Amino acid sequence: MTAEFSLDGAAAPPMQNGELVFDAPWQGRAFGMARGMAERGIYAWDDFRDRLIAEIGAFDRDAEAIVRRGGAAPEFRYYEHFLRALETLLVERAILVRGELGARVHAFEERPHGHDHAHAHDHDY
Amino acid sequence: MDDHSAPAIRAEAIESLLIEKGLISAADIDEVVERYNDRIGPLNGARVVARAWRDPTFKRALLADGTAAIAEFAFEGAQTEKLVVVENTDRVHNVVVCTLCSCYPWAMLGLPPRWYKDPAYRSRIVREPRRVLREFGVDLADDVEIRVWDSSAEVRYMVLPQQPANAARESEAELTARVTRDSMIGVEVLR
Amino acid sequence: MDGIHDLGGKEGFGAVERELDEPVFHARWEARVFGLNLTGAGGAGRNADHFRHAIERIEPAAYLTHGYYGRWLGGLEIRIVEAGVLDTASITRRALELGASPNDLIAARPSAHPDRIDYRPAEDGHRRGVRREARFVAGARVRTRAHGVPGHTRLPAYARGRVGIVTARHGGWVYPDSNAHGHGEDPQHLYTVAFDGHELWGDRAERNVVVHLDLFEPYLESLDG
Repeated sequence: MTAEFSLDGAAAPPMQNGELVFDAPWQGRAFGMARGMAERGIYAWDDFRDRLIAEIGAFDRDAEAIVRRGGAAPEFRYYEHFLRALETLLVERAILVRGELGARVHAFEERPHGHDHAHAHDHDY
Repeated sequence: MDDHSAPAIRAEAIESLLIEKGLISAADIDEVVERYNDRIGPLNGARVVARAWRDPTFKRALLADGTAAIAEFAFEGAQTEKLVVVENTDRVHNVVVCTLCSCYPWAMLGLPPRWYKDPAYRSRIVREPRRVLREFGVDLADDVEIRVWDSSAEVRYMVLPQQPANAARESEAELTARVTRDSMIGVEVLR
Repeated sequence: MDGIHDLGGKEGFGAVERELDEPVFHARWEARVFGLNLTGAGGAGRNADHFRHAIERIEPAAYLTHGYYGRWLGGLEIRIVEAGVLDTASITRRALELGASPNDLIAARPSAHPDRIDYRPAEDGHRRGVRREARFVAGARVRTRAHGVPGHTRLPAYARGRVGIVTARHGGWVYPDSNAHGHGEDPQHLYTVAFDGHELWGDRAERNVVVHLDLFEPYLESLDG
């Protein structure tokens, strides 16, 4: 049974004209992973949502503290929190191990610039 | 934010690990994104169709020169260089394919469905369209002319489906929500 | 090229499957694409015709079974190897290190004598001016070229040597048959030509079917004298 999709209030994703807005392809991938894994029963959607709410809550508190001290409010980047919530959940459930994730990130960073990745608009071939 | 940023790399690293562990596939992820974009929001093409249903002047302009007619929508992102919109009527049913590869009016309709790009559709729709359409649930009488548009160059085709009979008094927004990607490819008739 | 990609009218593929799963090759081809780099490939990255032709040249069984992204990657690997950016042995070694199976079917089949691509598009997009007047008017009867060509073309095999009617004229466009091989844009007039189903498929054709193709002037000869 597919968990009912709900992300509202502080946890709501950016929307425009009724559509999800992704500024970059990786955001769509993050969304697809988080939702897709829940649909496959690997975790409950609410578990992800709770982590996302906690993540955003922590950001809000830190931002408030910075502003109270006279600093500039940090920019809110929704999908970075989304991704971090996903990572937190995956590590908590021992689906991913921090070490292997770190190694993979490092390996990908070593790739030459301009490497390609097939997505969305590459459909005229 | 581009795809070489730290979050982009991190997302990709996570994805590659999840795929390797067999927990999800790249296609599964694509499908979720497609489904949520389709369900939550209208396609560019759907807005054009709804406008054409409501506005006969716009519809005439659209059929005469699709590229020029859609300019007023100021769609974001890359635009189709030449768009031809073909109208379904009681006498004519249109359907689009690219037999040689996977050309598709993605700027209007977003991601193409996987079956559109695969051998079964590409091989059969030009040869036995009536039968393939029946498999899609579209049953056309023999006296309806079927026009198959094989996108063999850079011109892109989109079908203007017939307006459903019971939709005459709906608003443009309501009409937009009724228009499906499959109806604009030509493999679905809206009821 | 009379390649596997030219699928129009081929039989035997069965029902259109609408809930298709992409084949589980992602781990393997993700590994193969690791380190692939399009920069410095002689501008081939900007030549869509060359890319299409590379995809047409992948291993035929891979073309039919590896799915859209598998074809895309096969074409990408062909271009990178043909441009001398990487060699097949290095890519294969790296893929094996990353967990690819030595039994995996490799889609890429780079040519030992590749075209030299050094492409800078003359303008944005694919439309171009053509000095010659268009040969055909709307309503003209034309016959398509009878035979295939060894390289890239956008005349499908099912429509060769067939009679049709010009229904639209689209002006001048980059000519894929030339551009795909690095022989220049050589812009040509483009037409929509309508073919009756019986003309294409004979007596067994379904009733009341017309197939429209967008065809370049060099593919067509006049029947109207």
